[in-house]
Amino acid sequence: MTPVPPVGPATVTATDLSLRFGGTRALDGVSLRLSRGVTGLLGPNGAGKTTLLRVLATAVPPDGGQFTALGHDPRTSSGRLGLRRTLGYLPQTPGFHQDFTAFDFVDYVAILKELSDRTARHSEVRRVLDAVDLSDVRGKRLKRLSGGMRQRVALAAALVGDPGFLVLDEPTVGLDPEQRMRFRELIAQAGEGRTVLLSTHQTEDVAMLCHRVVVLAGGRVRFEGTPAELTARAAGRVWSSAERAPHALAGWRTGVGTFRNIGDPPDGADLLDPTLEDGYLLALDGESAEVTA
Amino acid sequence: MTWHVAEEDLRAYAHGALTPPLLWSADTHLAQCARCREQLARSTDPVVLDAGWERLDAALDAPRPSLSERLLVRFGVADHTARLLTATPVLRRSWLLAVLFLLVTTVLVVRLADQPALFLALAPMLPLAGVALSYGPSLDPTYEMAVVAPLHGFRLLMIRTVAVLGAGLVLNGLATLALPGYGLLALAWLLPALALTATGLALSARLGPVLAPTAVGGAWLTLLAVAYERPHETLAPFTAAGQSGAAVVALIGALLLYRSRDRFDARPLGGFQGGGV
Ligand SMILES: Nc1ncnc2c1ncn2[C@@H]1O[C@H](COP(=O)(O)OP(=O)(O)OP(=O)(O)O)[C@@H](O)[C@H]1O
Ligand SMILES: [Mg+2]
Repeated sequence: MTPVPPVGPATVTATDLSLRFGGTRALDGVSLRLSRGVTGLLGPNGAGKTTLLRVLATAVPPDGGQFTALGHDPRTSSGRLGLRRTLGYLPQTPGFHQDFTAFDFVDYVAILKELSDRTARHSEVRRVLDAVDLSDVRGKRLKRLSGGMRQRVALAAALVGDPGFLVLDEPTVGLDPEQRMRFRELIAQAGEGRTVLLSTHQTEDVAMLCHRVVVLAGGRVRFEGTPAELTARAAGRVWSSAERAPHALAGWRTGVGTFRNIGDPPDGADLLDPTLEDGYLLALDGESAEVTA
Repeated sequence: MTWHVAEEDLRAYAHGALTPPLLWSADTHLAQCARCREQLARSTDPVVLDAGWERLDAALDAPRPSLSERLLVRFGVADHTARLLTATPVLRRSWLLAVLFLLVTTVLVVRLADQPALFLALAPMLPLAGVALSYGPSLDPTYEMAVVAPLHGFRLLMIRTVAVLGAGLVLNGLATLALPGYGLLALAWLLPALALTATGLALSARLGPVLAPTAVGGAWLTLLAVAYERPHETLAPFTAAGQSGAAVVALIGALLLYRSRDRFDARPLGGFQGGGV
């Protein structure tokens, strides 16, 4: 297990954020603190991850609660502008002008980020395209690039202007394993000295690159801490059995034919070493327990 | 080589002071012309020259902008503004062709049926629709990125509005030329067009990008229907009084729009593409 780096001072602090759509509470009193480095946001479909990232990226204002990021309070227009100047945002479904080349597109985003001097802007565009290994295809139209390449173009656009706060919504979705590794490296690099918040369904993403993890479900924070702490939550609660265990919260047959169970083990059960995935599933289960309680 | 880069342009080039479109010509030319490269090497001091070569390297691997973008720059638009403009969704061929088709059909019908009101009713709606579609989530796939960018949303909106309005007015103007028989009356769409566009935009900060233009367009059609019931030679909006009314509405709309400029930054107009908020 890698040593857990000390958590630095908070760079982003959110208190009691809420946002509802009609009857749905997409965010229901979310409070969290982020510091430099990569924080993973884990949660099932509909947990509110995208909504939370959109709020933190100033794409939508919250109904209630507040937050500051790198000292900027987005409730005032100057605070919002300050935050936007130091923000890099990769939406879950980044849209593109299909006729643009990779270069044109990143250049367009650079202009939106107020880089109007042509020479400086172009060298910045080349820098970020280099950073995501896309120098070779910068003259290609986006509609001719593969999905994974387009995802990298969007990441390059998020990196323009060396933002201090990076918000990435499921950046590793739809990438093949090799690309996913490459992407993790890129994000880990970006996390040096920056505050990065990344949402994902994949516990491996978190295990491999995050120093902190937040579990969100039903618009609420279920867990906030280090990946090691999340894993430790499952200590003594994972066991193996020959038959399906009736009282387990979750159980599945493994490759060797035995069942791996999570929950309250029976006496004398064959306990297993917990993984981050186990800890995550247990943190989610708190939700159904609370709902039925 | 039929031409060479002028001495003073070479000097400006080496200092990084040459601007597009001259810059592009110089880039392209220098890449092919040994004589001008030599000239460049001779005419400048070494430090400045290095910067010049670096520039040339960089420029050669930045892809050449599209034709529409190069045209805009040639007409004096700053190159970053030109790129924002080419990213305007409705300034695409498909939209322009649709508008052209509508106008041609209308002009033909007007000529056949001698019903100028048909053209006068339609013409103001086209710029309104174009402007409504050019900013906001419905047609701009990069809207979510544009919203969180520091560039002021109102500025982007204005850049695009001016461009789309300009294109729309030119097309309407051409259609007007095809109706010479009606004299000045054929131009009576202009002020209503400005009035509808200004109020449509001003209201979209409050009512959203779909409801606002729809409401304004609906109000315009209702007004025309009411006017049509009155037995006059000319429809009320196209009389002198109606035109002054349109001018006043256009001014009020513009004022309202300016006053609500910060709203375009604070919250998005409607939902984002790809579902969600
Ligand atoms: N514009 C909207 N109108 C109504 N409900 C919405 C809207 N946007 C989001 N929601 C609801 O808010 C909740 C959270 O959605 P959100 O997109 O934030 O989830 P998510 O965690 O990002 O899910 P996924 O993993 O599928 O991306 C869901 O129940 C969703 O249906
Ligand atoms: Mg999502």
